[in-house]
Amino acid sequence: MARIHRRKFLKLSAAGAAGGLAGILATGRAPAYAQGTTVHWLRWNDFVPSSDKVLREQIIPQAAKDLGITLNIEMINGNDIQARTTAAIQSGTGPDVICALNNWPQLYAASVAEVTDITEAIGKAQGGFYAESTAVANDGKRWLGVPWCIVGAENSYRKSWFEAVGATKFPETWDEYRAVGKKLKAKGQPIGQTLGHSFGDPPTFWYPFLWSFGGAEVDQSGKKVVLDSKQTLESVKYAVGFWKDCCDEGGLAWDDSSNNRAFLAGTISSTLNGASIYLLAKREPDKYQTEKGTPLYQDILHGRLPKGPAGQFSYQLPMTNMLMGYSKQQDAAKKFLAWITSKPVYQAWFDSQGGYSVGATTSWEQDPIWKKDPVMAPFRDVGRGAHFPGYPGPANRNAAEVLSKYIIIDMYAKAVQGMAAEDAVKWASGELQKIYT
Amino acid sequence: MAVSDVISQRAYVAAPRRSAATRLLEDERWLAAALLLPTVILLGLFIAYPFAEGVWLSVTDARVGIPGHFVGLANFTALLHDSIFRVAVWNTFVYTAVATVFKLALGLWLALLLNRHFRGKAFTRAFVLLPFIIPTVLSTFAWKWMFDPTFSVINWSLFQLGLIHSRINWLGDPSLALISVIIVNVWRGVPFYAISLLAGLQTINPELQEAAAIDGARPWQRFWHVTWPLLLPVTMVVVLFSVIQTFADFQLVYVLTGGGPANATQLFATYAYQIGVGTGLLSEGAAVSLAMFPFLLIIVVVQLLYIRRVEVH
Amino acid sequence: MIEGAKWRRWVYFYVPLGLFIFWLLFPFYWMLVTSVRPDRELYRPWMAPNYAPFWTAHPTLVHVTDLLTQTLFIRWMANTLFIAIVSTLISLFCGLLAGYALSRLKFPGGGALGTGIFITYLVPQTLLFIPLANIIRNFNLGDTPWALILTYPTFLIPFCTWLLMGYFKAIPRELEECARIDGATRWKAMLYIIFPIAVPGILSAGIFAFTLSWNEFIYALVFLSSAEQKTVSVGVTSELVRGDVFYWGQLMAGALLGSVPVAFIYSFFVEHYVAGLTGSVKG
Repeated sequence: MARIHRRKFLKLSAAGAAGGLAGILATGRAPAYAQGTTVHWLRWNDFVPSSDKVLREQIIPQAAKDLGITLNIEMINGNDIQARTTAAIQSGTGPDVICALNNWPQLYAASVAEVTDITEAIGKAQGGFYAESTAVANDGKRWLGVPWCIVGAENSYRKSWFEAVGATKFPETWDEYRAVGKKLKAKGQPIGQTLGHSFGDPPTFWYPFLWSFGGAEVDQSGKKVVLDSKQTLESVKYAVGFWKDCCDEGGLAWDDSSNNRAFLAGTISSTLNGASIYLLAKREPDKYQTEKGTPLYQDILHGRLPKGPAGQFSYQLPMTNMLMGYSKQQDAAKKFLAWITSKPVYQAWFDSQGGYSVGATTSWEQDPIWKKDPVMAPFRDVGRGAHFPGYPGPANRNAAEVLSKYIIIDMYAKAVQGMAAEDAVKWASGELQKIYT
Repeated sequence: MAVSDVISQRAYVAAPRRSAATRLLEDERWLAAALLLPTVILLGLFIAYPFAEGVWLSVTDARVGIPGHFVGLANFTALLHDSIFRVAVWNTFVYTAVATVFKLALGLWLALLLNRHFRGKAFTRAFVLLPFIIPTVLSTFAWKWMFDPTFSVINWSLFQLGLIHSRINWLGDPSLALISVIIVNVWRGVPFYAISLLAGLQTINPELQEAAAIDGARPWQRFWHVTWPLLLPVTMVVVLFSVIQTFADFQLVYVLTGGGPANATQLFATYAYQIGVGTGLLSEGAAVSLAMFPFLLIIVVVQLLYIRRVEVH
Repeated sequence: MIEGAKWRRWVYFYVPLGLFIFWLLFPFYWMLVTSVRPDRELYRPWMAPNYAPFWTAHPTLVHVTDLLTQTLFIRWMANTLFIAIVSTLISLFCGLLAGYALSRLKFPGGGALGTGIFITYLVPQTLLFIPLANIIRNFNLGDTPWALILTYPTFLIPFCTWLLMGYFKAIPRELEECARIDGATRWKAMLYIIFPIAVPGILSAGIFAFTLSWNEFIYALVFLSSAEQKTVSVGVTSELVRGDVFYWGQLMAGALLGSVPVAFIYSFFVEHYVAGLTGSVKG
């Protein structure tokens, strides 16, 4: 069964490579399913509207032709996916495929169907999955879902403002970044970073921050809590100074969208974010302009999170398509997953993203899209070296609980709000102990 | 009163013959049973069973997709040691108490104002209801936009009026964040109080007021000795329902702050959601939700006893 | 009417009322301005010199037309309206009968049942929505308006029942007794004497039940999945909050269009409701 499947898949991707979507058409396979087989795919609606258009106007008809299925794509706010997933699992009915963010596949491991065969075939055909995608979608024994993409997070920063304070390229270490940030804040152009409760930007900044100082939640086994360390304390103290020196203090209330708005409005000079700020500014150059009246996007560059004493780290937002165990369309849904993640089909979606998402496999680094726009080039290989919360331990349920309770973020937030760094670390460490034991 | 009108209604006079069903319904008990049947069926089906299931969840170690085993009260004892839970309990009490006091005071005031005759009365009454009508999620987005640290129109106005010199971090400052959330809740709730109390005010016979006025009672005395006692039963019911809703409030905080910064606005319901849905720990989430129950029950029993006492008088 | 000098009217009446109206309605004005403001101006920080929050020099209808043409907004409105009306009617029907029985009839277990109905109101939604999803599946109601129409009464009925009990209690017993002496059955006395007097109460219970179902979010989010079935709250937030970008203009236009038409309907209701009330008081 699996064998046949893989062969079919390889044939499909080979054919596709020959000529995009048209290539698949040319294979002329008859629809494999009775009319009326519907696969329901639930995903977040990402910020790139043209991607939704590709999915609706290109992929849906194509799925009908190639697979003989009716594809029903439902897009909702990323924050609300978990409520839907939970209810679907508990009642045993709902979307056939759910596109999970972060390490949700680990949370729902007991309720997803096996997709190891198709996933490994895709990995093999596309140069292998990134470590972070593997960490969230594989429990060490099997694949809990097919990794879909990674939303890259880099610092968007204002080129001219950085140059005005003497930084011709993005600072490489926290000390350099802090020095630059201090000068910028003095000019009323602070760095904007969020310390609120929101699933995207707060963790993607503060986890790598912790790691880059050598702090970690747990050891490699994922059993022993090691948060209460000299390195963590160091990072918390540094964060307090960094916040005071460089950051817009409104950040305590920000959600994932606030820093975008602040940046587009020209009140902050730099923020860790997806490429959405740049892409939006580029899409509508008349709307988003600098204080000099030039298009804002021409003054935006991207840079990696700086290095700390323990090195340079990042946490990117991975996404994984889970085939749900309760689905009555197992076969069709599985074929659909193999199909949509295959190179030719995925290509159409990938192109429409314009670099906002990178592939979950390494071969997408070679895509010509990265040559089109030098500003987007830094996103090309963000998937390399990215880690997930729980690092260096596994990205399991415990790590997800720490993440969803915002304990690491709140440790920094508490310190920034005036709690002694030692107490903040103690508090967070205590919470972690409860979760990990 | 319209008693004579009502009694002369044709429908009521024309009732000479009675069927078996009618006779059965003459018995208070049968009538009551018949009247209560639809309610009992609906509530039994859609509340009793899910509630039982929720209670069961809270004494197991169930997670999403994994049916749990009975663990007794382990989830509840774990909550006792949970610092975030304690913060959530405290926040919920502050949130409910402060918001209710303000909603009642402002709502009553507004009701008294709206009870007067003025031009555009009906229109005003309807539009004052707007904050209550608008879907909470959407109005909360509007408030989020008004509180936004970068774009706040509130800050702009206060600044222009010379009341502040630097921005107020409405949702970012831990103590202000709870106040901001309360402001939005009060904004949403005042129309509800006002219109309910207005309805109560209108059932009060104006002659009573006039009589008191003739006796030389001052406006404040008239309110306190004539209006307020008559208004009290309706008020208590309104407060009762509002307290329950406020205590279990979810959407507002979910949209506005997500419980942040550093759990400064974490409430029972948002924490239950965060644990149950965000982490998939269904059992612990259910335990947090259920932990609301005794608190609510105490509040409600106290209020109900008070209502009884008021009604006896 | 208010007696006394003109300034007293201002101090005790116009100024407070004006402040109330300003406070309650300002967010709506703000929604209006935001929804006609071009995006260029939308992203201007509050300390910017050209920040003009209360008006815009270049009003645009693009957000509104986008909302109406690019999303299923009108469909969502219709869905929400349908769901809210039907669930309100069901709840009013149940609440009216139950409220009457509990407040004016004596029968064994009445007090306990009243408390029981009330207790159901205390059960938090966050506890219920997952088990409820199971029931919805068993009845095959998933992704239909009936999933909401049948679950909303769980929090509407207790409310309606208790509000109406309050009204029924306020109606003097003699009214009914007079009617019964004249030969009316209990049933008719209830239908033709008590219920008409309770109309204002029924109306306000209806208004609030309608509003609660209009507002509901979690059940609507969990029980509905296709875009054509969604309610306003769920539809607007799922279409206009995209990743880390909010479509503020459309979001605010949606908020405004999702509430003001209802307010117009209410303005008629409030009129009727007041008229009905004064009628019954003055006879």
